[in-house]
Amino acid sequence: MISISKKAWTWLALALAVMCAAPWLFTENQYLLRVFTLIIFWIGMSGCWNLMSGYTGYIDFGPVVYFGIGSYVTAIGMTKFGGSFFFCAPLAGIIAGIVALPIGAVALRLRGAYFAIATFAFAESMKQICLEFDRAFGVSLFEGSHGITLPISSFENIFFYYCILIVTFAVMMIHFWIEHSKYGLGLKAIHEAEDSAEIAGVNTMAIKLRAYIMSAIFIGILGGIEAYWITYITPSDVFNVHKTVQMVIMTLLGGMGTFFGPVVGASFLTILSEVLGTEFVENYLIMVGAIIIIIILIMPKGIVGTIKEKKNIRFI
Amino acid sequence: MSAILECKEVSKNFGALAAVEAVSFHLEQGEILGMIGPNGAGKTTLFNNIIGVYKPSRGKILFQGKDITGLKPHRICRLGVVKTAQIVEPFRAMTVFENVLVGALHGGGMRMKEAAGKTDEVIDFVGLGGDKHKPSGAITVPGRRRLELARALATNAKVLLLDENMAGLNPNEIEEALILLRKIRDAGVSIIVVEHIMRAVMGISDRIVVLNFGAKLAEGPPREVMNNEQVIQAYLGERVSAMMSETL
Repeated sequence: MISISKKAWTWLALALAVMCAAPWLFTENQYLLRVFTLIIFWIGMSGCWNLMSGYTGYIDFGPVVYFGIGSYVTAIGMTKFGGSFFFCAPLAGIIAGIVALPIGAVALRLRGAYFAIATFAFAESMKQICLEFDRAFGVSLFEGSHGITLPISSFENIFFYYCILIVTFAVMMIHFWIEHSKYGLGLKAIHEAEDSAEIAGVNTMAIKLRAYIMSAIFIGILGGIEAYWITYITPSDVFNVHKTVQMVIMTLLGGMGTFFGPVVGASFLTILSEVLGTEFVENYLIMVGAIIIIIILIMPKGIVGTIKEKKNIRFI
Repeated sequence: MSAILECKEVSKNFGALAAVEAVSFHLEQGEILGMIGPNGAGKTTLFNNIIGVYKPSRGKILFQGKDITGLKPHRICRLGVVKTAQIVEPFRAMTVFENVLVGALHGGGMRMKEAAGKTDEVIDFVGLGGDKHKPSGAITVPGRRRLELARALATNAKVLLLDENMAGLNPNEIEEALILLRKIRDAGVSIIVVEHIMRAVMGISDRIVVLNFGAKLAEGPPREVMNNEQVIQAYLGERVSAMMSETL
């Protein structure tokens, strides 16, 4: 069961080919390209959350902190030190990962609600640091609440589509690896019964920490890419708790700890918001909320999770 | 024969409460050691000290002559000392096969192919072959007890600590469990059994250690321990023990 079938590889290659070709199908329509970019962006983001929280069951309520760190590393690197985007965005990921190491090592000792509170508090405090750092130390680095304007890129939207696609595909490959490896089995064991896992020889701390750092790295890179795409960042924007909530809801909707959960959840919610948002500009959010509630009531384990349980199929 | 596991003056305090007080004993290679004592005597706490869930307040634990005191549970498991829990906690969303595979991969440090082979072997050995691909949450209570055993065995355990592995089983199932334990011992694993079912412990153990109020009360062959005045007192109270000594 744990060996990887040829079929799975074929599907993965096919998915990548379709995603690469997709923008060329609507080169004329910049709006559609943007929606497509948003979808894969959110697949990447909720995928990162799923890596950590979906598989281990540790509900991280502050993943946005690494998005903010990634954005700021890229923005500061490009504006203050004149670094190139191709250097700064990967650096954003590395720095997010380095920050995640001590934070994870401490926070992952907590369980349940306490872990959620600790991560949430860390995200909020990083936002305050970005807001007040310059004033406190008399420097001009984070630019406080003014935010930072990045150099406007000469790249088209399609460039950012491919940048985000690379990251999202990497995140999905990690999912694929988790579904088929010793490491992934350890993650799932932690989800089910952490103490039993530990006495069965699973190095629970190391495994949790690796998942936490991996998710931080990719969220950081996505933050860097988005900052350059949007060209303007402020602390209240990039550390916004709404990003966290969106990652959580998309994963829950799709199915926590499943390969296709983030894909289905992020695609569904992004498309739903776009469709309803253009039809019912005034009150589409109420409808989106109602639909989310209905789905969660009918499918408590998410769309993919519930189908998987009912039909007892392995998707990949 | 040489001692594979040895506890030297192990104590564990929780605040002012001494849950385990200077307990020393050893387990010999290929031996089944029974551990009995009234509720709250410190049996489970002692187990948890041995496998590293707790760090002993004082004392030393030696495995094959090496000091393993205070190591993390997964390290001790990988060395070869494995516990099965009193309250069974299978990884519910996983199949029986995957449950045991966790032990083989992580505890046994095997590669995927080797681990899959070991898993198949162990599942057949404990007699769970028919349930292999069922979700572990869906099998019977005796099945779950066997699953715990299988997961521990898959790690290539040298010492098994069984914490009331027979609780909740009917007489027939206990009989089967005892046969299985002997098979495990014959395969070269040394075992410590904590159990409340006297008939089972007395029947299977080579030696018995009795704990009471966190301290070691008696140690010796089953027959000797059963007639020990202090042991009878601890289990049945003073008056009964007086009555028994009169009738004897």
